[in-house]
Amino acid sequence: MIRDQRREWVAAYLLILPFVLIYGVLFLWPTVQMVYLSFTDAPLIGPGKWIGIENYVEMFDDRRFWTSVRNTSYFVALTVIPNTLIGLAIAMMVSRLKGWQQSVILAMFFLPYILPVSVVYRIWNWMFDLQFGIMQYPLTWIFGKATPVFRTQWMFMPAVALVTIWWTCGFNILLFLSGLRSISTDIYEAAALDNASRWTIFRRITWPLIWPVTALVLTIQLILQLKIFDQVYLFVQGGRPDPSMVLVQYIYNSAFQKNEGGYAATISVALFVIVIVVSVLQFQFLRARGEK
Amino acid sequence: MSVADSRNPAVDASGTATAQRKLRAFDIGGLILTLITLVFAIIWAFPIYWGVITSLKPESQVISKTVELLPRTWTFDAYWEVFANTMIGRWYVNSLVTSLGVTAITLVTSALTAYALSQLRFPGRTVLWYLILASFMVPLTALIVNHFILMAQLSLINTWMGVILPQLIHPVVIIVYKNFFDSVPKEYREAAKMDSASEWRIFSRIYLPMNWGVTTALAIVTFIGAWNAFLWPFLAVSKPDMMNVAVGITQVNDAFGVHYARDLAAAILAALLVALLYLVFQRRVTQAIMLSAGVKG
Amino acid sequence: MALGFTPREDNVKNLFKIAMLSTVALLSVGGVQAKEDVVWWDFLSGGDGVRMKALIEQFNTEHADTITIQPTTLEWGTPFYTKVQTSAAVGEGPDVMTYHLSRVPLGVQSGALAEISATDLAGVGLGPDTFAPANWEAGQSDGKQYAVPFDIHSIVLYYNKDKLAEAGLLGADGLPTGLDGADNFMAALEKLKAGSDIPLSVQTSGDGTPWRVFYSLFNQEDGVFLGEDGTFFPEESIPKAVKALETMASWVEGGFAPALTEYEGSVALFTSGESALHLNGVWEVPTMTDLAAKGELGFEWGAIAIPTFFDHPATWADSHGFAIPNNVGKEVTPEKKAAVLEVISWMNKNSLAWANAGHIPAYSPVRDSEEFKTMQPNATYSILADTAVFDPKSVLAGVASPVYDAVANYIAPAMNGEMSAQEAIDEMKADLQDQAE
Repeated sequence: MIRDQRREWVAAYLLILPFVLIYGVLFLWPTVQMVYLSFTDAPLIGPGKWIGIENYVEMFDDRRFWTSVRNTSYFVALTVIPNTLIGLAIAMMVSRLKGWQQSVILAMFFLPYILPVSVVYRIWNWMFDLQFGIMQYPLTWIFGKATPVFRTQWMFMPAVALVTIWWTCGFNILLFLSGLRSISTDIYEAAALDNASRWTIFRRITWPLIWPVTALVLTIQLILQLKIFDQVYLFVQGGRPDPSMVLVQYIYNSAFQKNEGGYAATISVALFVIVIVVSVLQFQFLRARGEK
Repeated sequence: MSVADSRNPAVDASGTATAQRKLRAFDIGGLILTLITLVFAIIWAFPIYWGVITSLKPESQVISKTVELLPRTWTFDAYWEVFANTMIGRWYVNSLVTSLGVTAITLVTSALTAYALSQLRFPGRTVLWYLILASFMVPLTALIVNHFILMAQLSLINTWMGVILPQLIHPVVIIVYKNFFDSVPKEYREAAKMDSASEWRIFSRIYLPMNWGVTTALAIVTFIGAWNAFLWPFLAVSKPDMMNVAVGITQVNDAFGVHYARDLAAAILAALLVALLYLVFQRRVTQAIMLSAGVKG
Repeated sequence: MALGFTPREDNVKNLFKIAMLSTVALLSVGGVQAKEDVVWWDFLSGGDGVRMKALIEQFNTEHADTITIQPTTLEWGTPFYTKVQTSAAVGEGPDVMTYHLSRVPLGVQSGALAEISATDLAGVGLGPDTFAPANWEAGQSDGKQYAVPFDIHSIVLYYNKDKLAEAGLLGADGLPTGLDGADNFMAALEKLKAGSDIPLSVQTSGDGTPWRVFYSLFNQEDGVFLGEDGTFFPEESIPKAVKALETMASWVEGGFAPALTEYEGSVALFTSGESALHLNGVWEVPTMTDLAAKGELGFEWGAIAIPTFFDHPATWADSHGFAIPNNVGKEVTPEKKAAVLEVISWMNKNSLAWANAGHIPAYSPVRDSEEFKTMQPNATYSILADTAVFDPKSVLAGVASPVYDAVANYIAPAMNGEMSAQEAIDEMKADLQDQAE
């Protein structure tokens, strides 16, 4: 018996070994290194000397850091909830359809999700092009003149958020769709017999029953959007970098452009902490709502 | 997973007369809703259509001041120029190799780990499981600086391995695999044990084949994710001939004069492979994504 | 397919040719490795990119048995210099690259540049006596050479002859007249407004042209950007900076220059015949020349030194040079070094073709040659050589530097009226001072 157990242990360790190696070398070790690096003045590549919490002191006093915290939060606010609600709305529209109709319509909504971000950038840059962009027709109608959307400061984040929702909503749609499918049709039948209005059905049946999926989508979105970099990096080229700086971009700037590895690690630690704290808070909040 | 077809509740409720009257009223409302859905879908997909159509126009027609929903002259010129002036072929190879690498290594290591977590009892099992669950919340993006340093120390900058390695942390894959292995009836394993089959044999002959569907699903999702990854491949590669296609089209500049169609053609090419895969395997991809998010319908 | 695509035959042929060539290239790798490959990075796109490609091709043909340059063009500015810096740090940079001399102090400080010894340079006939002294020294830091100058380039005022004639702004000699002085310039813009919606095309977003124009105007008033004591915009220079910036903002505010327009857009406004005047670098000369040669420009163009808005002529200038990245952990073989030096020296000796791209050659024998002195339109703005003002020599200045970032963050927004000129200068000063410490 003991020997059997031993054999099971050995087998288990052999099976998990490759993953544990990867996890250790590429996740735990870099995390530890990140924290260590944040207490040094090291450049990106090469040694630095231990300077204690100096980087942290500097960070709390750094205008750009707070700008990036603010912008990241703003972006999260602009995307997480709208993206979830739009996803749910589209999923409800699509779920009414059947067979090939559903496939075609779903594909139209989902296709953007499988595009690389640089392709999304190229397409929307062209859509909004100041001289020849097709979006200039409605924009000219609204603002009275052609409008450089990604160069107008107040429009920048909302525009990037719009593009992001367009790009990533397909994922949410799918999750909601599978959630909607699992709601038993009997419940709807009963409601229909009670002459319940569409809104009542949604509020009393769909919304509460879909809540676990909504919570999941919100969680995934929140973690995802806090890490915003690609879109902002691509769209800000040629514009004003500072006012639209986000956290990951500031990490990138510090490490790869200014060659300040230690300071970049400090901002990384901050991002790390922010994401974990926010996820835990949200988890608690959603669970509380779920239990209500 | 029960992928029951969504059914229009009104149709099922048609047993009674009231419901029947309701049905007719419902249908007009339904028709309007369907129309709205259609219009919305067309608007949603329009940017992609517009990008594709623009790339098929001659540059002189691209900058026309009127909206032309179809090219006056169809041409592949922009595409030929991309082929002739960029390393897009080379970038495609890089994308393929690194994406397949990420997919293969992630799937193999995750399946093995999930099997051990699901079927075997060993010291450290619970700790490992909680570590995996916790890493779900951790932003890997925060590690870019240290990933870069690590890859530089290993001399892996500008190599396929350097692009692949930091993309291998996918706790979700393990979680999904474990869920599925958990639901395989215990009898299979016990019967195999009686025949004194090794754990490897049980895994590779029973658990894996029984879950091929999950494997394909996870493979598709991991592949799409790796193909579309931007930040890490962008950092790990500075040599143009080692870039992934999604990065290459934004970093290398050969343009001269008006080049909207050419830029878009390069973008369309970058998206083409995955887009075609999706259109061909639509059902599978859809299921795969639902699965990978751990939603069991 | 029913859509009727017909791939053009010559394209198919080209593709075939490329396929053949690459097969040959692959096969020949197995052969004798007597040839030295030189990996080359530059940031030259557009008109001067075409000229540079021709030069590289010529070099490769002339050195068919000994050296091959393998060129890559990366995105100009910050993307280029970020790549250079990180690549060098991990030993993955190119063998040789183009580099702005304005950025040499920053490049040296961040450890991205390798020293080039005087002996090596003398060996290929390059030294202090073959370049203008100031130009040569711009490639140095602490007396060591890190970059070899290749050209001097500046900004000029491009003009549409037809539109200027219409507005009565052409003198008897056929050159623009009445543009000197900020007020006269404004009056000229008003006259031109009749003939074009946007008479002056200038980049008004990001960090390129806004800096070059601002720095020119600022220096026309003898403004000091970086004082001896390390102060940015010393007290007495602040009003001058504000005045320069207000002048620039007035062009946009009056509807004479386009708001929030990027580099490419500003070029297009002029080449499409929309704008009568265009402020931009000499490197767009080949764009105009080529378009005119193909008959696609549709008007007669010219270029003159930028007007004197304030007290005396002064024009921003910078230099392209060649530098060798400090590839950490990578040994440079003597053969490679010789090949790289040959590339640098050959390019300079053949820089007459580069002058064709609008630039002034750095290499004195070429600059003093009769061919260059009569070259058009370079001759019309030859005054540049005497009035050039270079970026401050500082680790915060140069292309893709904190100063350039500050331009995108403060100068460009002020041009568009998104903040006042005073506010922009104050914030820029505070920001740079902060980073200097």
